[in-house]
Order: sequence, then C-alpha cells, then structure tokens
Amino acid sequence: MSGKAARGWLAFAVLVFGACAQADESPRPSPEAVLDARYRLVLDLVRHTATYSPPVASRAFAYLGVTGYEATASGRPDMLTLAGQLHDLKNLPKREPGAVYDEALTLDAALSAATRRFFDNTGPTGQRAMKAMDAKFSPGVEAGLPAGVVARSEAYGRALASAVSDWADGDGRNEIANMGFPLEYKLKDGPEHWRPTSAVALQQTPLLPDWGETRTFAMPMGASCDLPPPRPYSVAKDSAFYAEAREVDDVVTHLTPERKEIARFWSDDPMLSTTPPGHWIQIAMQVSDKLGLPVDKRVDLLARLGVATADAFIGCWQTKFEYDSVRPITFIRANFDATFTPLLITPPFPEYPSGHSTQSAAAAAVLTQVFGENFAYDDSSHVRDGLPARHFASFAAAAEEAAVSRLYGGIHFRWAIEQGLVQGRCVGRYANALKTRP
Amino acid sequence: MLGLTAAAAAHAADDPAPPHFTDATAASGIAASYDGEWQYMVGGGVAAFDCAHDGRASVLIAGGESAAKFFRNVSPAGGPPKFEHQTSGLELKSVIGAYPIDIDGDGEVDLVVLRVGEIDLMRGLGNCRFENANAAWGFVSQDAWWTSFSATFEKGERWPTLAFGSYVDRTNDQPWGTCTQNLLYRPARDKGEPQRRFAAPLPLAPSYCPLSMLFTDWNRSGTPSLRVSNDREYYEGGQEQMWRIPPGEPPRLYTEAEGWKYLRIWGMGIASYDLSGSGYPDYFLTSMADQHLQRVDRPQGGAPAGPAFADVAYKHGVTAHRPYAGGDLRPSTGWHAQFEDVTNSGLVDLFIAKGNVAEMKDFAAKDPNNLLMQRADGSFVEMGDKAGIVSFEQARGAALADFSLSGAVDILVVNRNAPARLWINDTPGRGHWLGLQASEDGPNRNAIGGWIEVKVGDRVQRRELTVGGGHASGQLTWVHFGLGPALEAEARVIWPDGSADAWRPLAADGYYWLRRGQAPAPWRPRAE
Repeated sequence: MSGKAARGWLAFAVLVFGACAQADESPRPSPEAVLDARYRLVLDLVRHTATYSPPVASRAFAYLGVTGYEATASGRPDMLTLAGQLHDLKNLPKREPGAVYDEALTLDAALSAATRRFFDNTGPTGQRAMKAMDAKFSPGVEAGLPAGVVARSEAYGRALASAVSDWADGDGRNEIANMGFPLEYKLKDGPEHWRPTSAVALQQTPLLPDWGETRTFAMPMGASCDLPPPRPYSVAKDSAFYAEAREVDDVVTHLTPERKEIARFWSDDPMLSTTPPGHWIQIAMQVSDKLGLPVDKRVDLLARLGVATADAFIGCWQTKFEYDSVRPITFIRANFDATFTPLLITPPFPEYPSGHSTQSAAAAAVLTQVFGENFAYDDSSHVRDGLPARHFASFAAAAEEAAVSRLYGGIHFRWAIEQGLVQGRCVGRYANALKTRP
Repeated sequence: MLGLTAAAAAHAADDPAPPHFTDATAASGIAASYDGEWQYMVGGGVAAFDCAHDGRASVLIAGGESAAKFFRNVSPAGGPPKFEHQTSGLELKSVIGAYPIDIDGDGEVDLVVLRVGEIDLMRGLGNCRFENANAAWGFVSQDAWWTSFSATFEKGERWPTLAFGSYVDRTNDQPWGTCTQNLLYRPARDKGEPQRRFAAPLPLAPSYCPLSMLFTDWNRSGTPSLRVSNDREYYEGGQEQMWRIPPGEPPRLYTEAEGWKYLRIWGMGIASYDLSGSGYPDYFLTSMADQHLQRVDRPQGGAPAGPAFADVAYKHGVTAHRPYAGGDLRPSTGWHAQFEDVTNSGLVDLFIAKGNVAEMKDFAAKDPNNLLMQRADGSFVEMGDKAGIVSFEQARGAALADFSLSGAVDILVVNRNAPARLWINDTPGRGHWLGLQASEDGPNRNAIGGWIEVKVGDRVQRRELTVGGGHASGQLTWVHFGLGPALEAEARVIWPDGSADAWRPLAADGYYWLRRGQAPAPWRPRAE
C-alpha cells in the first residue's frame, strides 16, 4: 500500500477506533469518531462533485450540520432543537420516550442518509466511497448492540435525515443545472458591470445568479446584511475606483513569496479543494480534535458554522447581483495594463463583495464565540495538497488573511474585501444567536 | 442571450461541405464491447496497425472485464470494410488500451497493452500473431491501473524509451489523492554498451493520475518532451505536466520559472497537430465540460521562449462543452481526440469521442461524439449530426483511419458496455489525398519523432510521427493528408535525427512509402 493509500481504511480504522482498542474486544467508534469519519467523507465528496461550487457546498454543510446536531440534541435534555429557529424547520421526528438509543449509531445513520441525499449526484468514485463506508464502517458502529437498539437508532437517524431532506426540498436548490451556469443570461450594459473573464465556454454566464434569493437559514432574508454600493466606477485617474484598480495591479506585479503563499492557501478552488466553507469546516474539525471536544459541542459548532457560511453566501450573492460589478482583470486590461494576469483564476461571477471575505468573517464569528477572541491555532487544511500549515493568532485574523488573499490573488478590489468582512460579521451574528442550550 | 447565434450565422456561408458516414458495424464483422464497472470507467482503447504487411489496418479492441478482441482487416481495397475476428495471442483480459510500435525493430509491429494489473509488451511474430515479450525484453511490469502510454527513441539509442502513466490505488475505497507512480523505461546499458532490452524503470514523480501522455517535440528542439494530461478528479496538489527528458539525463519537469503555466483539468486525451502552420504542434486536451486547445506562445512569431501555452479553444470554436444533438444540455465529457481530414479538403478536422463517465448526473447522459469541421479561417463547426455519426453510447477510445483503403478516413469508436461502432466514410465529392508512411532501416523503423510534410502550392501540412496520446488508443498505419482539388503535391520527411529529405513530387490519390534519401515508393493493394 502506498503512503497516500495509508489514508484509506486502515488508517481510518486506527483513527476511528483509537489506540485504546483491545485486541480481544470489538471496539465501537464513539459519536465523536462517527462525526469525524462522516465529515471527512463529506469533505472529499464536496471536492469531487462537479456541482459543488462554494455556495452549493455551504448549503450542504448547513443541512448536514443541522442533521448531525438534531441527531445528538434529540437525545439530550441539555440541548435545544433548532426547529422553530431556522426558517421553515419544524416537525422533526421525536424519539420514543423511555426507549434506548445508541448515540453513535443514531448519528451514523442520520449522517449516512444525509450524505447520500446531498451527494446523490456525485460520480462513480464518490458513490463507491459512500457504499464502502456504509458497508465497512457502519457495521462496526452497531457491533455488539442489542438488535432492538440497532433498529430503533438506525430508524430514528434515517427518519431525522428524511425530515431534514424534506426541509431542504423547500429551498428550491436541489437541482444545480449546467454546473450552476445558466444557459441564457443577459449581461447588463455598461463597463461597470460584470463581463465573462475567461475563455471557458461554460463560464460565459455567471455562476448561480439567483442564489441570493435562496431561503436563508438563520438570517431573516438575503438582504438582511446588505452593503453600501461599490466604489463608483470611473476611468478618471484620480478616482477611488481607479486607485483601487491600480492597487490590484501593483500588488500582483510585486507579489512577495509570502503573499503568493497566502493567496494560494486561501484559493480554495472548487473541484480542487473542499471550497471556502469546507476550509472553515476543516479548521473547526482540527480545533475540535485538538481540544478533544465532546460530541455535543462539535455538532453545535458544525451546525452553526454550516448555517453561518450558507447564509453568508446567500447574502453575498444577493449583493453581488444587486450591483453586478466588474472584475479587476476586465477593468485593468481595458484601461492601463493589457497584460495583467492575476495569480488566481478570476471566479466567474460579479466582484462586489468578496465571497471568501463574507463567509470567512461569518465563520470566524462563530468560531470566536465558541473558542474565544484570541484563540491561536494552526491550520493544516491543505497539507495534502502540498501547502504547509499556517499559524493564526485568532479566527478573526484568519478571516482577515482570507479576505486580503483575494487582493494578492488579483481577483478583488480592496473595498469588496473590507465590505465582505463587514457583511460576514453581520451574518455571523444570526448564527451565533441560535439557542442550543436551555 | 449571448451573441453566439449571430456569430454562427455569419460563419454559415463559410462552412465546409459536410462529410457523410454510414454505420457499417454490422456488416464489417466487428463485434466488441468494452465491459466493466468502476475499474473500467476509463480506458476502452483501440489499436490500429498493419500486422499482415498488406497495407490494411487491423484492430485490437480493449475488452475491460471481457477479453480483448483482435479483428483482422480483410477489406477489399476501396470496398466495404471487412474484418475477421481471429485468434492472435492478444486475447488478454483487463485490457484498458493498446498502442502499436515496433519495439525491436524487426519490421513486425509489436503492441504495448495497458491493463488493470500488468503491462504486456506483445511481440509481433508475423501474420498477426503475438506473444508476451516482457521477460525477453527485460521489462518488469509493476501492478497498477495502467491508463496511459507514450514512446520515443532517444538520440543514440537502439531501443525505445517507454513512458507509462497509472491511475489511482484501486484497492482504496476513497482513492482520491492516491495517484500511483508513473514510470519511464529506458534502454538498458551494460558497461556503457546499449542493450536490446529495458533497464529498471525510473519514477516520473510526482504522478498525478494521467489518462494520456505524449512524447512530442513541442519546440522543435530535436528532443521530444513528455506531455502528461492528468485527471484532476484524483490528484492532490497536481496539475498538467511536461517532462524534459534529455538523453542520458534524468527526467525533470518543466517549471513555472521556465514558462510552464499551471493548468488543472480532467485530462483524458491528447491530440496534436500544427493547425496554425507555424511549424509547432498545437495540443488538444479532452476534459469534462470545456475541452482545451493549447498553442505555444511565440514572442513576435518566432521560436517559443519557453513551454508557455495559451488556450485557444474558445477562439477556434472547439470547446465542445455541451452536446449538440439529443436534447441533453448538461456538460459534455471528452475522451479520445484525433485530428484528421475527413473530406480531404486540405484542412484537418477534429473528432472527439464523448460519453458520460458512468451515470454522472451532472453531465450529459446523451453525449454524442463530435466531428468538428475546419473552416478556411481556422475556426471549426460541428457537423457530427450532418455526418450521420450521432450516437449516445459512452464512447471512450477511437481510431480514425483509412480502414477500407478508399482514400478516406473512417471512424471506429469503442464504447463502454455497448458495441463498438464503425462508420465508413462515404462523403460525396471528397478532395484528393495521399496516404504516406515513413520508414528506414535501423531500430526506429517507423521514424517515430520525425515529421511528414506535404506541400500544395506554398501551403504545408505537417504531422509529427508519434506513439502515444489519444485515450488509450494508438495507430501505426497510413498517415492521411487531404489535398483538396490538387492533383499533385510534394512531400518530405524530416527524420528523427533532424535531417530533412528533399521535397518530392507525388501524384494525388495514392499510397507511398517514404524512405530516407529515396524517391517515394508507390504502394498499391494486392489484387484480392
């Protein structure tokens, strides 16, 4: 087996069952291990499912987070349901009073069903991986449990996932046609508006132009955290807009090795990474593992994080298509540097505000509420892709670096970054306001 | 709505006359299918080669879980294609694809057979019989999911250099990030003396799950490099690659500092041709959604400064990102690609085999193969529907070749879990043509690494002689050139050592062997 292959089932089993497993007994994974294993599969599926652009990924993380949360909270008197707090979430199935459930198995059944539901469209390798996990991992979760507990726990987990699935049906975003690019789209007139930025035929229309109308989770509506307009478009050399464009060109022209590393670290490209929301899920998992958080705290965190980033993308997209702003590459090439080439590939949708900035600030708000304002940590999310871990003094500092990375990458103006952070902090407050404890 | 409709209408008057093909599968005797599930979602190649010295391209079709099938071409010259399923020694299981090459320089074509498991070097024994020669040639295959291959003859060597690409660790349930090692087999040396066998392989690391690789002289330096097209679905930290392989030195990757540009695609196939007439090959890379056409940057129109390529697919109308027939508008999935002139107009056209990977819901299920016809201005227009080649199987490998010795390029497509199809080219009013092969004595009998050039007036068509590329499919047969209305042309070979023959006049509509320093030798099929 190759070194990389060691990340497969053998290494997986070691992680899940832990070093404390005795040779003469059948170790059962803990609820924390179930959560970790299921989320790691989901992160791989996000990376390898073609429709999983960042907004779509954030939606899946929100529904999966709520599924995992409710699977755990439903069995604990010290946790509150999110039904009634998240838009249109109601009537979740209840556990049978007085009956015995296994928490690990309930969680496993719920997340298994939810994963299949949200990644029904993944490719043959993803389908194979989901089947393999159910066939090889789940039997270990139920091993040694009384048949009645197994049946009851699995049935409840599946029922919960089904209820969340029905709830998800109501947001109208199940089908992502043409990888999110509409077949027809009328570009707005005027040089201040977005124009396709690549010669990729599929991307001659913008990604998910109506995503801002998606039903929100905790935030009242897509425009709840609306922003002031972008800098007024101008080709006047003394204008604020022109100055910001000049700044992008100058930054890209004089990129330092560290700035390049920062831009690539936060690039989080769809189909080549777990996407920006997945990156923050990875951070949450790393910190949770390091602190040895119990499952109730983990599911609370993952649910809030999913909700925060999903609402962040809805809010961000609402603003993006309200203003439909031109990207730096279009303006700079047309006005003063025809050879301008950003370090990162310019995403195929309008510029203002920066999506990574918005959702990073929202995610950081959630993590800060849970772990504190000056929680230092190392982020090793991209080690598998050859990018070394980075150290951060706080989650807010990480969000700010994620934001400015888009300037270094040459794909955003500074105003879009700063305002994206403002919008994200606003969105994060709604997720943080969810009541999960009596 | 985008302005594409108007652009298409403006072009309509300049569109070439459509080709026409007829499905001749049933009558041809070809009955084969590339079968299997996950391990056979990629592959499905076909090798086309003359193993009977009768000028006819016989074929080996990969079978996946089923045994590969050899079909001997017994077509009457110019008549309907006719193949006989024969036992050849190539009836191997787990075959992904195959490439013909004369490894031992004995004048009998050999085959490199890629499999899930072992690679088999199959020595041609004559009369379309083959035997495994791994041991005889010192070739030790490793166990892997072998998906790509290319070969070259390095300067000063009397034995070929073989490059192999492998896919993921197939034993892993979550195989993302488990790309297994690609290998380079060079000729062995004993006390400095070249041997007629292979040395232990060198790793081509890092390896990023290639589905196609091609030795090609992208900058006309005289030393081909190895282009590798990788599947981004499985690698972590990967990208497209090009290896510099100087004779006698270890391989090393071209770097960003040298001009190589970061590109990450679902690389599935490579086709090359000098479309611009610059003397430098363009590279068509198949993928999912947008396909890619790469052209080397040449400052001020001169020689390339480095391995920097620009994507000109959109400009030339060859993104082929969505089906053009069948009503399925989801993005498309490309596999084998090949440039050939199917109407003998003098302009090469582009065929792309298409098909869903395996029930991928976000991509077209009804995904017809493309036949993009080149216009005089260098842009392309889709004519697969007019040509009569629309089908909705999951196509993989293909061979475009003059199977019936009619002077026209036919199309053979291998389909996954469905019968292969053979379309015979019956385009009315085709132009004139030439079928050429270069050959010389010595180890590199088919002049791999050389170029054949054909000139009509002051316009030169040229094709690099390569082994590799496509999608698990290769061929060693007549190199086809369309001449349009011209009744004669000139041709020459630029041999692998860089020496160029003199231009020689040729009458149109014939086959010729081109040998170093000699007048072209006409070839005619034997009377049946």
